[in-house]
Amino acid sequence: MNYLVKELRSHSGRTIASISGYIIATLFILLMLSVTGTNQESSTRILKGTGTHFIVYIPSNISCCVSCDSESSNGSLFAEGVNTIMLTKDVMDSIKKIKGVKEVAPYLLYKIYEPKYYGDISLGGVEMNSIATKNNVCAATNLISGKFLSENPDEVVAEESFALAHNLAVGDTLKTYGGKLILAGIVNSGIKPGKADLYAPIDNVRRILRDKLKCISPGFDMNIVLVEVEDARIQNQVLLQLKERMKYLSVSSYNCYQPATDVMKIMENTSALFSILIFIFLIIFSAKTQLTSLMERFREIGILKSLGWSNSKLSHQILLISIFQALVGASIGVLFGFLIILLIDSYHIKLFNLIEFQFKYSSISALLILSLIGGLIAAIFPIVKLYHTRAGEMINNFM
Amino acid sequence: MSQYQIECVSLSKHFVSKNQTVIALDDVSICLNQNDTVMIKGRSGAGKSTLLNLMSGLIRPTVGKVIIESSCINELSDDSLSKLLSAKIGIIFQSFNLLPTYTVYENIEIALVPKGLSKYEMKENIMSLLDQFNLKNKAQLLPSELSVGQQQKVAIIRTLAKQPSIIFADEPTGSVDNQTAEEILEYLTNLKKERQVTLVLATHGNIPDKFADKIFILNNGKLAN
Repeated sequence: MNYLVKELRSHSGRTIASISGYIIATLFILLMLSVTGTNQESSTRILKGTGTHFIVYIPSNISCCVSCDSESSNGSLFAEGVNTIMLTKDVMDSIKKIKGVKEVAPYLLYKIYEPKYYGDISLGGVEMNSIATKNNVCAATNLISGKFLSENPDEVVAEESFALAHNLAVGDTLKTYGGKLILAGIVNSGIKPGKADLYAPIDNVRRILRDKLKCISPGFDMNIVLVEVEDARIQNQVLLQLKERMKYLSVSSYNCYQPATDVMKIMENTSALFSILIFIFLIIFSAKTQLTSLMERFREIGILKSLGWSNSKLSHQILLISIFQALVGASIGVLFGFLIILLIDSYHIKLFNLIEFQFKYSSISALLILSLIGGLIAAIFPIVKLYHTRAGEMINNFM
Repeated sequence: MSQYQIECVSLSKHFVSKNQTVIALDDVSICLNQNDTVMIKGRSGAGKSTLLNLMSGLIRPTVGKVIIESSCINELSDDSLSKLLSAKIGIIFQSFNLLPTYTVYENIEIALVPKGLSKYEMKENIMSLLDQFNLKNKAQLLPSELSVGQQQKVAIIRTLAKQPSIIFADEPTGSVDNQTAEEILEYLTNLKKERQVTLVLATHGNIPDKFADKIFILNNGKLAN
C-alpha cells in the first residue's frame, strides 16, 4: 500500500490526468442520464396513457334485447355499428379480475330512428368520473360549451358534430326517446370507440330505456363494458386473456396501444443502447488511460521486476491504482454533476427550453459500480502485457 | 546436476528491427564456477549487455539455455524467476536504472521489499551501506540531485543490499570518472573478500584484466577464441 500511495504521489501529474478523465466521463454520463431519464419518464408517462382502452360487447343478429319490442321502439342496442345484446354485471366483474385491467365501466348505447331528425339518434349512458369512460366515450375535459352531465334526468350533452348537423345550441330541447331532453352542453370527444350523438348518466338512460321504451329487462344493466388497462404495453396480453376466458365477447380497440407500445419499446431500447455505449466508452477510455499509464511506467516496472518484484505483486499494484483512480474520479464526477444540476435547477434552465436536468440518486451507485468495473477491465490489458513481457524487454525498449 | 554455478549453453539472441533480424548473440557457451570473477569484454554492440541480460533471466534466448545452480532459468515460472532475482541475483545496470521519483533511500528499499524484511531490518541494512559508501547524508535526495558517480554508487548499494550470490554488472565504471571507477572496483574487490560472490562484469576495456579470474571476449555476438 505504501508503494501504491508513493506511486500515485510521485506521478501526481499522471494521477491527476487519469482521475480527470474519469471525472469528465462520469460527469458526462451523469448529465446525459439526468436528461435522458427525465425525458424518458415524461414521454413514458404520456405514452402509458395512450392506447390503454377498449370496449367489449356481444354482437347479436336481433335488433334488441330480451323482451324488447323493437318495432315499437324503432331502435336497438348497438356497438361499432352492429346490434348487441345486454350484459350483466357479472361479465363486467369477470373482466375486472383479469390481470392488467385497471378499471372497467358499464356503458349503455342505444340508437333510435327519428324521422324528425332524418335518421338515427344514438344515446350513450355513461358512468361519470371513470377513466374507462373518459378514454372510451367522453369526459368533462371534452366539453366545448355549456355544462357536462348532471343527475338531472332530462339533461343530456351532445356531440359537436350532431349539434352542428341539427343546428342545436346549449339550452335547446330535443323531442326524442319518448320525451323531452334538454341540451346542457356540447362536447367534442374525438375518435372514441363508444362515441354517440347524445350522452346522459347511465342511470338516466336505463330509466329511459326501461320505463319509456320498455326495451331492457331488470338485471341487464349495460350492453358494453368499457375497459382501461394499466399500461399500453400490456394491452395485448389483456386482450389475449379476455379472448381466452370469454370467447363469446367481441372486442373493439383502435389499436393505438400498438404504436404507443412500439414507441415505448424503441425509447427503452434506445436508452439501454445509449447507456451501454456510454459504458463501453468509459471502459475504452479507462483502459486507454491505464495502458498509457503502464507504457509510461514500463521501464520502472521492468526495473522492479529485475529486482525480484513478482508479476502478481505488480499486477496487484496496477489493479489498485486503476480502481483507486476510477473510484476517486467517479466520486468527484458525481459530486460535480450534482452541483451542476443543482445550479441548473436553481436557475430553472431547460435544455432547448424543454428538457429538464434531474439528479438521479440511483445513478450514484450505478456510476460507482460502473467505474469500478471500468477500473477492473482497464487494468486487465496492462496486466496481460505485464505477464507477457520480460523485465529486460521492458527496460531496454524504453531505455 | 551441473558442476558449474552458471552455465550458458549455445546461447543465441536475435532481435527483429524494422523487418530485419539482428543477431545480437550467436551460439555462446560459457561456464562459471561459484565465486568466480569473470570479465566479458568487447566493443560497444558486441553483445555484452545482451549476454548479461540472458544470464540474469531478464530476457529469453532465441536459442539455447541458461542454467543457474542446476535450474534452467528459461523454463522457470514468473514467480520462481522473481524469487531467484530477489534472493540470488543482483544486477548493476550500465545506466543505473534508478527510479527518478524515488529518493536514494527508497531506491534501495524497493530492492529489499521482495525479500520480506521488516522496516527496521531494511533501515539498518540500507543506512549501513549508505554509510559505507559515504552517502548517508544523501538518503533523502532524488537521483537527479546526485552526481553521476553517486548515482552509480546508489545502484551498486541497491544490488549489494540484497546480498546476492551472483552479481551481474554491466559497465559498472563506464559512466564515472577514474577516481570513482577505482573506488567502485575497490568496493567490489572488498566484497569478494568478505563474501562468496560470483561476479560477472561486462566492460569495453576500462577495467584491468587482473581484476578477473576469467576473461571472455565477445566480437559481433560471437565468443572469440
